[in-house]
Amino acid sequence: MTYHKHPIQRPVSRREMLDICKCGFGSVAMVSLFGSLLPSCSSATRGKDELMSHLTRGSTAPGFIPKAKNIIFLYMDGGVSQVDSFDPKPRLAKENGLDPSTLFKVDATQFNNVGKILKSPWSFSKHGECGMDVSELFPHIATCVDDMALIRSMVSNFPEHTNANYFLHTGSGLQGRPSMGAWVNYGLGSENNNLPGYVLLDGGLIPPGGLDNFKNGFLPAAFQSSILHTGAEPIANIRPVDSIAGIQEEKLAFLKRRDKTLLSSLGAADEVESAISNYEMAYKMQSSIPELTDFKEESEATKKLYGLDSQDPHTRSYGAQCLMARRLVERGVRFIELTCPSVGNGADRWDQHVNLKLGHENNAHAVDQPIAGLLKDLKLRGLLDETLVVWSGEFGRTPFAQGEDGRDHNPSAFSMWMAGGGVKGGTIYGTTDDYGYRVVDNPVSIHDLHATMLHLLGVDHKQLTFRFGGRDFRLTDVHGNVVKDILA
Amino acid sequence: MSLPFKNSKHILFTLGAVLFFVYGFIGCKQSYSPAIADKVDFNYDIRPILVQKCYLCHGPDPSSRKGNLRLDTYEGATALTKNGEKAIDPIHSEKSLLLYRINHKDPEVLMPTPESKLKLTEREIALLKKWIEQGAEWKPYWAFIAPHETEEVKKYSGNPIDYFIEKKLKENDIDPQGQADKNALIRRVSYLLTGLPPTPEAIQKYIADDSKESYTKIVDEYLQSPQYGERWARHWMDLVRYAETKGHEFDYTISGAWRYRDYLIRAFNDDVPYDQLVREQLAGDLLDKPRVNAKTKINESALGTVFYTMAEGTHSPVDVRKDEADRIDNMIDVTAKTFQALTVSCARCHDHKFDPISAKDYYSFYGIMEGTRFSPIQATNNATIPKAIQLNALNDSIREHIITTWFKKRDVVSSATKPVSIAKSISTAPAKMDTSVMVLGDFTNADLSGWKSDGVAFGDATTLGDPVFNEQGKLMALQGGKASSRKLATGIFGALRSPDFKIDKNFIAVMAAGMNASIRIVIDNFQLISYPIYGNMDQHIDSEIFKKYVFDVTMWKGHKAYIEILTGVFENHVFKMKKGSYVEAQYAIAYNSESTSLKKIPQQPSNLDQSLHALTDKNATVSDVHFINTLIQSNKLERQFSNLNSKFQIRKKLQQSFADSIEFFDGVVDGYGKNSPVFIRGSHMQLSPTPVNRAFIHAVKVSKPDFNVEGSGRLQLANAITDPNNTLTSRVMVNRIWHHLFGRGIVETVDNFGMQGKLPSHPELLDYLAIKFQRDHYSIKKTIRDIMLSDAFKRSAVTNDNDKESDPSNIFLAHYPVRRLEAEAIRDAMLAASGELKQSMYGKPVLVHITSFMNGRGKPDTSGPIDGDKRRSIYIEVRRNFLDPVMSTFDRPNPATAFGRRTVTNVPAQSLILLNDPFVIQEATVMAKNLLSAKQNQFSDRVNWVYQRSLARNASEDEIADAQEYMKRLKDTYVTQRIKGNLEMLVWKDYIHSIFNLKEFIYLN
Repeated sequence: MTYHKHPIQRPVSRREMLDICKCGFGSVAMVSLFGSLLPSCSSATRGKDELMSHLTRGSTAPGFIPKAKNIIFLYMDGGVSQVDSFDPKPRLAKENGLDPSTLFKVDATQFNNVGKILKSPWSFSKHGECGMDVSELFPHIATCVDDMALIRSMVSNFPEHTNANYFLHTGSGLQGRPSMGAWVNYGLGSENNNLPGYVLLDGGLIPPGGLDNFKNGFLPAAFQSSILHTGAEPIANIRPVDSIAGIQEEKLAFLKRRDKTLLSSLGAADEVESAISNYEMAYKMQSSIPELTDFKEESEATKKLYGLDSQDPHTRSYGAQCLMARRLVERGVRFIELTCPSVGNGADRWDQHVNLKLGHENNAHAVDQPIAGLLKDLKLRGLLDETLVVWSGEFGRTPFAQGEDGRDHNPSAFSMWMAGGGVKGGTIYGTTDDYGYRVVDNPVSIHDLHATMLHLLGVDHKQLTFRFGGRDFRLTDVHGNVVKDILA
Repeated sequence: MSLPFKNSKHILFTLGAVLFFVYGFIGCKQSYSPAIADKVDFNYDIRPILVQKCYLCHGPDPSSRKGNLRLDTYEGATALTKNGEKAIDPIHSEKSLLLYRINHKDPEVLMPTPESKLKLTEREIALLKKWIEQGAEWKPYWAFIAPHETEEVKKYSGNPIDYFIEKKLKENDIDPQGQADKNALIRRVSYLLTGLPPTPEAIQKYIADDSKESYTKIVDEYLQSPQYGERWARHWMDLVRYAETKGHEFDYTISGAWRYRDYLIRAFNDDVPYDQLVREQLAGDLLDKPRVNAKTKINESALGTVFYTMAEGTHSPVDVRKDEADRIDNMIDVTAKTFQALTVSCARCHDHKFDPISAKDYYSFYGIMEGTRFSPIQATNNATIPKAIQLNALNDSIREHIITTWFKKRDVVSSATKPVSIAKSISTAPAKMDTSVMVLGDFTNADLSGWKSDGVAFGDATTLGDPVFNEQGKLMALQGGKASSRKLATGIFGALRSPDFKIDKNFIAVMAAGMNASIRIVIDNFQLISYPIYGNMDQHIDSEIFKKYVFDVTMWKGHKAYIEILTGVFENHVFKMKKGSYVEAQYAIAYNSESTSLKKIPQQPSNLDQSLHALTDKNATVSDVHFINTLIQSNKLERQFSNLNSKFQIRKKLQQSFADSIEFFDGVVDGYGKNSPVFIRGSHMQLSPTPVNRAFIHAVKVSKPDFNVEGSGRLQLANAITDPNNTLTSRVMVNRIWHHLFGRGIVETVDNFGMQGKLPSHPELLDYLAIKFQRDHYSIKKTIRDIMLSDAFKRSAVTNDNDKESDPSNIFLAHYPVRRLEAEAIRDAMLAASGELKQSMYGKPVLVHITSFMNGRGKPDTSGPIDGDKRRSIYIEVRRNFLDPVMSTFDRPNPATAFGRRTVTNVPAQSLILLNDPFVIQEATVMAKNLLSAKQNQFSDRVNWVYQRSLARNASEDEIADAQEYMKRLKDTYVTQRIKGNLEMLVWKDYIHSIFNLKEFIYLN
């Protein structure tokens, strides 16, 4: 190969990439499609050295062994109250009704309507061998505590939903940054080339901040999320308009003929070449999606496990999403996020500024059994070891009331848990003060959470960078420490 | 455990390979090993090494500097260390510590350190050594020195652009391709200038035109077509993060955003000089001579400032100061990237790691933005301004007439009224002044108390001394002082805003009256005032009786704020004004305890002579007016002015016919000059003890870098950017133009000319274009024309294996680069081909079509039509939280920050859209109908009819044969499946649908 006399740095061309990976055309196209490069490409001959030298420059530290290969992110939109779920505070009962400002310094809140100390309407009891405290809200999840690592010392930077949602999803409170699902796919790619690598299971509620919580930001569109609905058209434009058998096949054959002619006339322009294979992919997706969304091969016992037979339509709906998540994991989808179902009654999301009792109960009832079902089913199938399940809201809630019977946003302390892939089950990490208002021990930031999630996938968060507008961006910005104590 | 890969190597491999690939894919760095030139060049060979491998610890940012060594300046690099050595000792490579360290085997000594994971290549080490041996010449960074004029080009007979391109091709032994065929050329020119395919008529005309000038003619025609502005405005909209809503939680509307879009289209079509465009967007409201549209009388310059209001907006932030800092950061980021291709916002928390941009530079920029205020601006008030002037003159003449009349009799009156009992007659008991009361605005005197008055309503003085007449024309009294928006008439727009003050009391009160008006307390420039926290900060006035409007600001003690009195109200953050609305205010105060009023104790009056003089000079005091009023009341002064009757009538007519514009857009006005402290590590909680003066980025030399003026400093900023000596502005813009025409800039990183950016591939060409751009009075059209007329642009897109080996990325442009069309062009092309495209320009956006996959708060009540009302994509609404999925999937950037270069991706969702989206099917169906009703009977004519409209050429024999075979198979399939109906139509629709799916349809060659 001749080299430049001009000392200019230049990108590698697609042609060179093809040469580097002698795996044929298709698998390289996959890279651009879903960002994956199949391991079998390691038989590359020419170019391998270059590739390897690149790897040693920017690659992961020794001993970075991936534990999980997929993530299911159970997003608890609105902010679950930590003192009513996983962080019991007896002192709230004792001091119920007292003015909080006489007890501690009260920060400015979103609604500026600070009421009295409010005891939890639910009682807690210890579960599992680890003896983790879980409130009555989550009787099913309580049976899984020995697989869960609970973090009681989460801290966010924002008391507003939107900023906090962007922060949780993208590592920045600003709109327009890439979401963690996009980062994960940028880093690891999808294992299934007939399905997108980042799937959003839209349970009914898109969180404040909108779809920007799930976008690819400045990362290439190959890493954007695909929204999956239940129903006749699970993914936008997935249903072939050519419903008559054979028509679409004819069309695709025609396209292939004509596009190939174009290619040869242009001397095979690389850009066009890879765009062509896109159609094969799209075609395969059309058939793999219906197969994915069809539950008929699932046993009655499995369906029951997820609560698909529940009296509560919201449990059924969330249960279907959880079952879908497992099916996506089985098919190698890297990052799956579930949003909450709309439970109605003015209690949508976990955002109970009023009527905490009703709202949290309805929301908990919708998700409790399906989540426990998911954990158990994954375990049963041997998938839990390689699937990281993450349960979190964007912040917690105040230990004092908003008005009479609600709770306001509290970014200074909240609880979240992880289970599966590489997580030490039965762990309780971090401590809050006697009111569950602030973290007093081992605070975990959103950046730490992201660093830990990436770590479990075998990715060093400091090395996962993307240059945009003159800066190397990271999901964790310039922060983030892996929470080692919860790792198996 | 079943891991995805058998061992960790695999995953390392996969991660790395993907990173590697994506870098290649988006055009990031991958070094090759060219031979080392005889003379090593600092800017091209050495600086990139220092930046990439050394600056993290030895660059401009002192906070991360190690070993007290800096390698970003010659002085630093050659300074004596404490051991008496030098990192770089020019000529003496053996004495240079740097070479010693980078060559060392011991990991403890080796540089860069093994932990940094940075490694110098053999070539880099050799370069550094040779450079030091050649004397370690240090040059200023290329982008910060003036463009260099290449003399030799003057001897070149062809297009000067080709001189530079050919020179590089020759140097690299690459043979360029010949010219593209005429079909490819017209398609290329048409798409790049208008974003639309050429019409069959235009193609025919061009093909038939054998004249030498035929190509120049089509370039000129497309440059003059109105669709040119529609395409090039959209390029600009990517930079300014164009959106019609503010995103965040409720996706509130940005009022009149579309007017700015139209402004851009007009400006590009009128080829408004680029420096003017820059000035208008940064300081269009402050220009001495605003550019007024000759036809519509719209003040175009003011519209430019919508640039600032394109940012996102938070709903109810708890920490409003931090929110302000985030908004300003975005404004700095977008401004610096758009106009200067510098990443200034990297210096928010610390000095820039690579570029000579300090945190001080950042906060000197910050002050400019902080002193800028958002405001509703009238979309047009040119019809009303002359009336306002007329009314004002009329009022003045009435006033003068009265005073003149009184002056004539002043001696009589004076003697009759000794300055005696007046003091007594007006004495109210001295009010118990609450000592904690702070007066924020006192409008009882003649002046507006230092407040800023925008719009014509409030004028520049209070009502003090204005005569009031009854219906019969009898003078009743002179008015007391109050700021009033109806000095001329009701229904006139005005905004009265206080200087910034620090909130240190519990309450703010404004004594006011009015109709359909409002008072707002704007805290830390926060605009989206609403529940739950801020609701009380926006109070509506609907009472003709003066009342105290009280604002509880306890929560925001310590914050800066200003008071805003408006002749309209914000409804869901859209400013609305009604006929007859007005507002008046007497004073504004801040205090801690509830019942406090500002009471005025008139001073001892002067004599009549003095008072009348003061009245003439419009600086009468409260006591002057009071004194005269007592004389009026006692009929000692004349009250009937028969000569004024005609004037009264004219005035009444004028007032009644006064219909001020009630259409607004969100623009900016100037606040008060503000120097910001440095936020230590970017935190608004930790401020430097002294503020930094507003100034321009110090690394970029301009003639007037200091901005310490009374206003925000935006005008000075605009002047610094358009300063002819600014080494970036012209280079950045011509590079953007080049980027849009070739798909890649001469500097590939179009938004970053800093040291982390790419070096120019043709530096002399870039300089040539930049210098010519200025000489051509910043004409964008001329620059485009020059480039399009070059051989380089006209080259065929066909490549050969030879080129691909020697220049795989086509940096030297041996052939024209093949590229995918943009989202808008793809959609518009289908509408154009089907014949449905509406050519109508401008106006309110077509609502975005909401699919079942678009949900969330702020979801619009109504979904737009699926075909965007058949209008060009630029006219379809851009809602931040409900972005059109077709546009996003084909890589239209998310409107978050400046995006000068769209990524071009390749995702199955794109194929799925073209295969299955109902819009695509609809256009194919319409086109098939049009085809069958066009009188084309021959099969081949029909195919050509489709080809001309879709691909700008005729089909080849092979293609016609293939089409015939293909459609026969389609028809057979339908027949086999027993499908009834108009099979001919069905098959042609399928065929056209397939053509829309061809790569050739969405690619430009």
